[in-house]
Amino acid sequence: MRRECYNTASMSTLFFNLSIIFYGIGLAGSAITFFTKGKRTFQAALAAVIVGFVVHTGFLIYRGIEKAHFPMTDMKESLAFFAWTVSLCFFVSYLRYRIRALGLFLLPLVAALMLGTIFIQSSPIPDILKSFWIYFHVTFLILAYGMFFVTFIAGLLYLFQERELKSKKPKTFYYRLPSLSLLDDLFYKFLIVGFGSMTLGILAGVIWAKQDWAKGWESDAKVIATMVTWAIYLVLIYLRTTAGWRGKRAAIVNVAGFLSVLFTLVSANFLGGVHKF
Amino acid sequence: MDLVLVGVSHKTAPVEVRERIAFDDRVLPEALGMMLGQLSCKEAFILSTCNRVELIVRPQDGCLNPQPLKDFLHNYHGLEPPCLEPFIYSYTKQDTVKHVFRVASSLDSMVIGESQILGQIKKAYSVANKQGTVGLLINNLMHRAFHVAKRVRSETRVSSSAVSVSYVAVELARKILGELQERSILLIGAGKMGELAAKNLIRCGISQVFVTNRTPEKAAEMATRFNGTPIPFEELHSQLVRTDIAIVSTGAREYVLSKQQMQKVVRERRYRPLFLIDISVPRNVEPAVNDIEEIFLYDIDDMKSVIEANIGDRKKEAEAAEQIIEEELEQYARRAASRNSGALIGALRQRIEAICLEELEKNRNTLEPGEYERMERMLQITAHRLAHPFIMQIKHPESSLERHYQNVELIKRLFDLDDKK
Repeated sequence: MRRECYNTASMSTLFFNLSIIFYGIGLAGSAITFFTKGKRTFQAALAAVIVGFVVHTGFLIYRGIEKAHFPMTDMKESLAFFAWTVSLCFFVSYLRYRIRALGLFLLPLVAALMLGTIFIQSSPIPDILKSFWIYFHVTFLILAYGMFFVTFIAGLLYLFQERELKSKKPKTFYYRLPSLSLLDDLFYKFLIVGFGSMTLGILAGVIWAKQDWAKGWESDAKVIATMVTWAIYLVLIYLRTTAGWRGKRAAIVNVAGFLSVLFTLVSANFLGGVHKF
Repeated sequence: MDLVLVGVSHKTAPVEVRERIAFDDRVLPEALGMMLGQLSCKEAFILSTCNRVELIVRPQDGCLNPQPLKDFLHNYHGLEPPCLEPFIYSYTKQDTVKHVFRVASSLDSMVIGESQILGQIKKAYSVANKQGTVGLLINNLMHRAFHVAKRVRSETRVSSSAVSVSYVAVELARKILGELQERSILLIGAGKMGELAAKNLIRCGISQVFVTNRTPEKAAEMATRFNGTPIPFEELHSQLVRTDIAIVSTGAREYVLSKQQMQKVVRERRYRPLFLIDISVPRNVEPAVNDIEEIFLYDIDDMKSVIEANIGDRKKEAEAAEQIIEEELEQYARRAASRNSGALIGALRQRIEAICLEELEKNRNTLEPGEYERMERMLQITAHRLAHPFIMQIKHPESSLERHYQNVELIKRLFDLDDKK
């Protein structure tokens, strides 16, 4: 009887719940840090998020063992994996740029995604998804979306900081955000790496489709939405590198890009097509 | 913690009063000696800056009346008491400690968070130390105050934002451009204010300096002073395209840089942010230039408004600093309580032993030989055990200091003790 308490299913649920709790603490700590500007609360928040992330990773591993496949084949799992990549991006960006305010802006999405997955029923895996290519296809795409979220937030923070600097009346963000040049660097690096990752994900998808899928996948709703997203980011990179667009100029394209990411993520569930799982 | 403080500061007195009672460096050692002699106190300390004069003493007899100290301040400066009375504040015991902590942490300063006061206190302390007028209590207080000031500085942002024009320029440059190494600056014109701001920026790491002026000789002269490169005035436009920061301070009566011109510059810069400082009066840059994307134009009033905001920010941070002061005060009191307990514990031990041995002494004659020594030993051990719980109470302050003091008072009353020797 006792052994059953430790089976993988209950372990993954336990890990899942724990990670939500720790992310919650981390988010609360980040919010307090933002308002009080204290260093200590942020260290506590960071520790909580690290624990949350480790437990989250544990959840993904157990889930994978339990289902005997990489855990990103249905909506529930891909949202949980998306949350994981955003969390990962938070660490990477914090380690590189030390922007404490990022916690308050990145973690809400992590928390929301994790909470969201509770309400989604898990579905059995269709045979078609039992392929080697899915690992590359989905992993790279979702990693890219996580990075695009950082790009989106960095662009937003740039706008806030720019506005306060232009207004000559420093208020909230002036005292909490780093320099414009650092925010721009964060924006640009995540944009480039995210774009590379997305391209790889799409290539993997194309190879996979050529091998295993019937004709007509090119006109699938999700494929089209993905290509639109990819094109928007291509435009953004082009404008940034050749014309130097940043701040207010780049904002619209940046926002459009991320809205397109969100739409792409759920598009198949509204519009149907081969990606509906 | 038998300390008395008497002081006059910018908060209580105008500068006419403060300058009248200042102790300058030459008279300070002598004044400290006089204080020690005239007030018959164990320790004496004087802090005298342009914003405050404060005297601290540790009285001989534990008498905490500030009046003699106030009289000393009057007499020393040849003033008739009580003419300073309306300007003087005084603190005793714990309040002295709190005040010193706050002053050292620059929470009581005219510009909250300014860094000079700590150095001034350190200097005053070293003078008193050299004169040998400070002892255990004030030494302790000062070292603790330095520690608190350090904590406040590192744990709050109370002294981190800029509150002078030339430092605001540096702060803004960092907000826009990040690290200033590898950045370049262009000085247009030769105004004094512009030079000052440029000096600060260069000190903070800017590596390339370019100077331009309508008079080429002036540009060359200034360039040598800043170790920079003079640029012909005709090349202003192309230099504006390259530079990261430009300081404009010419004596011109009209705009040197117009919006139209800067719009062209920003396109050629491919929207790389440009920090434009206009320190000239009348202004030399068309104000509408600020509307151009990625150009951040600040004139002298704009920088003043940043200073105002920064001072507001410091005040908010001061609340967090007050929290630290409270924490440290509590700790200080706790340590002082357990440090002061030595004399009291000795007295308590003696008292209990005396009570225990009293009856034995009375009946000494009735005892067999050898029995007296045996019983004395037994009663001494009993006295020791009896005293133990009381000593523990005195030695280890419990969670609430208030309660602790009450307990100590109670023990003193019960055994009729006095720890003041």
